[in-house]
Amino acid sequence: MTNETPPPILKTWPRLYAAVLLALAAEIVLFTILTRSFH
Amino acid sequence: MRQADWIVLIATLAAIVIYGVWKGRRQRRLEQYLLADRQMQWYTVALSVMATQASAITFLSTPGQAYTDGMRFVQFYLGLPIAMVILSVTAVPIYHRLKVFTAYEYLETRFDNRARTFTAIIFLVQRGLGTAMTLFAPALIVSLVLGWNIHLTTLAIGVLVIIYTTSGGTKAVSWTQTHQLLIALSGMAIAMTVAIRSLPANIGFTEAVKVAGHMGRMNVIDFNFDLSTPYNFWSGLFGGLMVALAYFGTDQSQVQRYLTGETITQSRLGLLFNGLVKVPMQFFILFVGAMVFVFYQFVAPPLTFNPVQSEKVRTSAHAAEYQALEATHASTFTAKREAALQLVTAIDSGDAASIAQKKSALQTLQKRDDETRKTALALIKKNDARADAADTDYVFLTFVMQNLPTGLVGVLLAAIFCAAMSATASGLNSLASTSVVDIWKRLIRKDLDDHTYVIVSKWMTVFWGAFCIVFALYANQLGSLIVAVNRVGSLFYGTMLAIFLVAFYAKHVGATAVFYGALIAEATVLLCWLFTDMAWLWWNVVGCVVGVGAAMVIQAALPRTATQQ
Repeated sequence: MTNETPPPILKTWPRLYAAVLLALAAEIVLFTILTRSFH
Repeated sequence: MRQADWIVLIATLAAIVIYGVWKGRRQRRLEQYLLADRQMQWYTVALSVMATQASAITFLSTPGQAYTDGMRFVQFYLGLPIAMVILSVTAVPIYHRLKVFTAYEYLETRFDNRARTFTAIIFLVQRGLGTAMTLFAPALIVSLVLGWNIHLTTLAIGVLVIIYTTSGGTKAVSWTQTHQLLIALSGMAIAMTVAIRSLPANIGFTEAVKVAGHMGRMNVIDFNFDLSTPYNFWSGLFGGLMVALAYFGTDQSQVQRYLTGETITQSRLGLLFNGLVKVPMQFFILFVGAMVFVFYQFVAPPLTFNPVQSEKVRTSAHAAEYQALEATHASTFTAKREAALQLVTAIDSGDAASIAQKKSALQTLQKRDDETRKTALALIKKNDARADAADTDYVFLTFVMQNLPTGLVGVLLAAIFCAAMSATASGLNSLASTSVVDIWKRLIRKDLDDHTYVIVSKWMTVFWGAFCIVFALYANQLGSLIVAVNRVGSLFYGTMLAIFLVAFYAKHVGATAVFYGALIAEATVLLCWLFTDMAWLWWNVVGCVVGVGAAMVIQAALPRTATQQ
């Protein structure tokens, strides 16, 4: 196994990084909805 | 505590220690001992990274925070996934390609030995104190709630950690951490299940969430920008990003976890998994606290949660005053329970006007109870000036001890001990690595063979373990210094991060500029701490921005010959 192998999912590293950031964005949206639903 | 709980607790801890010693046997080379031969797969890296950050305080204090203040603490972690991506792109490939043992070793390659030694010493000071606190804080809470001797509790956790960390090195630490984290999270899931199942028959999970929400315990996000508020969206995103970059990118206790990855891919995947899972994990731990809050709407909680201080005030000159407060608390609880049941009925009916009315009634009673609690805590402080006026750290353990069935109490205590041991083990392991690789091997004895350095590393682990135990044993007498020690990381992280950011990205900046830039940054952070009311998360941003800026300006002002340094 070389040091520069692609990730096992999503094929490229930029896509995997984007997935992590998208998950964060989704969490922020969900948290905002949860917070506002009781205001 | 019943016999079955003792059996579960002792069996779990013994199994962890034996497993750690067995996993880490036969290590003769320094790379084997300090970096597990760089053979770890991503899942071990990920769980080890997460377990290092999640100390016992995470599992003891965080639910208490949700109990009193809601879930906004989760915002502190919003910058973490971004930091994991940045570090995967930058730090991981650099550390791997240079095959360094410590993060500070890289700084000598990039700058000079001065930068390496400066950051290594900052790390040893702050991590040494930090690790002592990870040992002391849970020992204090557990010993107070269970009536155990704090010195023996500290000593027991410390000695168990020293045994397998010294014997098995990083391999033992990483492998035991994977199990310890799973045990700790299982314990939290059990506690949450018990809290929800103990609610009155007509209240299920959905109703419990709604009650928590109407009582302000589901306030996760706050978009108001305020420099003096510790937890809002902006401080979490920017301050949290800086903390996470500094902690995971420059703190050897974390760097050492992903340096064990077999390849860049394995280390990156470990960090990215942490970026994916950390925010939901913290949300879950806070959510457990919110459910404990709902539980205590229907089952009477004690007036204050620190049993030792409550008992002290009951037998003091303030006893009558405290008993009156307890009576007020009891009558408020009875009214509150009724109001909570009415709110649930209104929620079930779906009538918005009724929900608003019942919610308002319950909130009024809650405010009255909060005032009673505040007066009681002030009385405790009046009775004993050295007493901790906040009792949120004791909420979760009190709930566990008073409401979990026999056997499960043992599981929860094992979970808390496992968390304390895993964070302490990482701390000792990284302190030993930096002491040997950056100080001993670099400055004291460069000519020893590999096996001798392994033996020195083992003695360094014992030395730092003893240091942490001794500091923890005397921490009780340090009073307000403890607060400062808890924040000590944020006093230095910004500066450390500045040094590493310049190293990674500002290739034209040399050693002299970065060294003096770091000194200016550290002085600025200390001024912010001493003379402003700036929330501590922002110290990281200040340290980093000033450090990078000052290094750039100094570099530009230096004569051309100095840029070669």
